[in-house]
Amino acid sequence: MIPIVYLLCGLTSLACAICLLSGYSRRRSRILLWSGLCFIGLAINNMLLCLDMLVFTDVSFLIWRTSAALAGAVILVYGFIWEMV
Amino acid sequence: MSQIELYAFLSGCLLATFLTSSLFFWRFWNKTQDRFFAIFSFAFFLLGLERLPLTFNPLQETKGYVYLIRLLAYILILVAIADKNRSLKRK
Repeated sequence: MIPIVYLLCGLTSLACAICLLSGYSRRRSRILLWSGLCFIGLAINNMLLCLDMLVFTDVSFLIWRTSAALAGAVILVYGFIWEMV
Repeated sequence: MSQIELYAFLSGCLLATFLTSSLFFWRFWNKTQDRFFAIFSFAFFLLGLERLPLTFNPLQETKGYVYLIRLLAYILILVAIADKNRSLKRK
């Protein structure tokens, strides 16, 4: 059950990134671009989670995973501030 | 700085940025009344909420159930995108 949750998190975050960026390519809405870039970071976080928990169990990717997610989230907040000011 | 301290710092920053993003989406919803933004706001709120058990007890990761909150947030975002695409096609 739990490995399935890890895999689904990875797949759904990747699907979100793809949907948001393809939406941006069609509609050119900047919020979609920033959200898509954020989800690339979250997808990297979730893929590293799968590798960390399921494949390389003796090595910890904890800091790398969290940093990838933080990079994505910071890009999103940067985009919001850039578009609003 | 130990790995646990660094993780706690990064996790706290992540919580703050997720909640900030949720507030931005909430503001967009307030202005436009578009449920796409309301769903995104709630999803990012859930992503921020998910950081709390992970930060205070990193061993929660091995239990895995806390990631169901993350999965729910991503599913909500996919639902919001699908809903928005459908409403745009109808127009």
